[in-house]
Amino acid sequence: MAGWMIAAALAGAALGAGASDRLAPLPPYGTAYTPTTVDERGLWQQADEAERDLRDSPAVIRDAALNAYIGKVLCRSVGEGRCRGVRVYVVRAPYFNAFMAPNGMMIVWTGALLRLRDEAELASVLGHEFGHFEMRHELKTFRRGRTIGDIIAWTGVISPYSTLPVSLIQLHFSYSRAQETEADLMGLRYLTAAGYRPLAASRIWERLMAEEDATALGRKRRVTHHYSAGFFADHPTELARATYLRETAGTDGERGDEAREAFLTAMRPWRATFLADQIKRNDFGGSEYLLGELATGHWTSDLLLTRGELYRERGNPRDLVSAAQFYQQAIDAGCTDPIAWRGLGLSLLRGQQAAAGRAALKTYLEKAPAASDRAAMAMLIGEGGVQ
Amino acid sequence: MNKFGNKFGNKFGIVAIGLGLIAAPVAAGNRLIVPGQPVAVAKSMLTVTPAVEWNKLGARPGRNSETWTFDGDALNDLTFYGGIEPERTLFREVSKRNKPLPRVKATMLVTDIPTLVENSYRIALDTPLFTVEGMEPMAFAGKPGIRFTYSFTRPNEDLPRKGEGRGAMIDGKLYLITFEAPRLHYFDAGVASFRQVADSAKL
Repeated sequence: MAGWMIAAALAGAALGAGASDRLAPLPPYGTAYTPTTVDERGLWQQADEAERDLRDSPAVIRDAALNAYIGKVLCRSVGEGRCRGVRVYVVRAPYFNAFMAPNGMMIVWTGALLRLRDEAELASVLGHEFGHFEMRHELKTFRRGRTIGDIIAWTGVISPYSTLPVSLIQLHFSYSRAQETEADLMGLRYLTAAGYRPLAASRIWERLMAEEDATALGRKRRVTHHYSAGFFADHPTELARATYLRETAGTDGERGDEAREAFLTAMRPWRATFLADQIKRNDFGGSEYLLGELATGHWTSDLLLTRGELYRERGNPRDLVSAAQFYQQAIDAGCTDPIAWRGLGLSLLRGQQAAAGRAALKTYLEKAPAASDRAAMAMLIGEGGVQ
Repeated sequence: MNKFGNKFGNKFGIVAIGLGLIAAPVAAGNRLIVPGQPVAVAKSMLTVTPAVEWNKLGARPGRNSETWTFDGDALNDLTFYGGIEPERTLFREVSKRNKPLPRVKATMLVTDIPTLVENSYRIALDTPLFTVEGMEPMAFAGKPGIRFTYSFTRPNEDLPRKGEGRGAMIDGKLYLITFEAPRLHYFDAGVASFRQVADSAKL
């Protein structure tokens, strides 16, 4: 009995959807596109409301140069005609993520910008999200979910002890995973067409897996590799994504432009902020892995400085010794930021090396005479007492 | 609900509702603090003498802490941390596995206190919008301590909040009093009363 019900209901839904979609073949990114069906209008209205909230949020980074750069990469990736239908918002959140709303609002988290290595990788993320928009995935998921919800409700009435709802829920999540794969492959097509290096798409997922493992190890958790998507997973596993993206990129996936320098130049003014947000997450293992990844064998002074802060903030006795070394290496590598001397001084003071610590803090105050913590640091040196 | 309870205190919310059905008039143990009398706070030896009336909330952010308010903790929140021991967190940890909070270290300098507060808030409230504005030395209960100011915004709220803290490391344990309120009206309206309470702290 269950089988015919699914078949009939899904067929009915497909017919209904087909009828209402027949008049809406226009792409959603077109100029002044107006959603055509009741469902689409409802979703766009909700997304517009969310966008109004987000637009005024203090979490949005409004830096003109950063936004212009991301807009430029999106336009190169998906094409001038398409990218004009999208508004990109860079949101300060130190995790890897990006979203796409059905009305063309795209959200990129700063944690993603920190983790991407070059413009080709950024283009692959933006292209993937645009794929969801172009394919109207949210609308399809909404309709599918409603149909499945209806069937579950009716099944409950007709045969309360049926196991059918379980398989329907599974159907819903596997549908969502199929959409993610579709968007991944669309993103890859955009990447290749725009002349970016196709292999960029798969490398992101390989590194994310390694970072998750490092986080788990750092928190003394068991490392769990996900070889297959769980029952409720709405995304394919990172392993699956890395694999099919690598295979689709083909044997000459290394061809094409990666535009690494352009990407690093655009991110340079923001990197210190993104790094500081990352280490304040109290994820020692993940942060240490990420810093190593960003360094790729060449530790620049800003990465050494951040590594010093990471070790000092964890603050185990051995960490303080390591932290002092990293700050010193940062200074030796040409770091000009006064906080390197502050970090060095504080690490040495906590590690019982009072004289050397005070000397480093003195240098900090010489280099940053207007620092907001000047009086507090002077107290540690012994130049100012308790007021 | 304590100040972090709104974000992740569902478990406690259910318990509170359950108890509410049985003993509705108890009102979760909130209590009036009378002015002019020394009162021990945060289950510790720390005592303060407030000059005005405060309301003590029944819900505590953690083991050795206690919250006072005038109009509710969303509008003005004075929290005492009475000697947090090494390797303990500032307040209750919601998930040790997935969102572990930083821990107090016995070797912490007073200048590390604002960082501990910042990182704990960033993780517990899930916001990157937290800035320590400044710090300066100031005695705490007669011991070398620190005064610091900060600002933050909770996610999905967009209401800028200001905070001020006074703390010290005494015998390897963290003593801290914080006051925070929306930047608009409430911070300026309540900060003088907070400073008076902090000035009166004795150990």
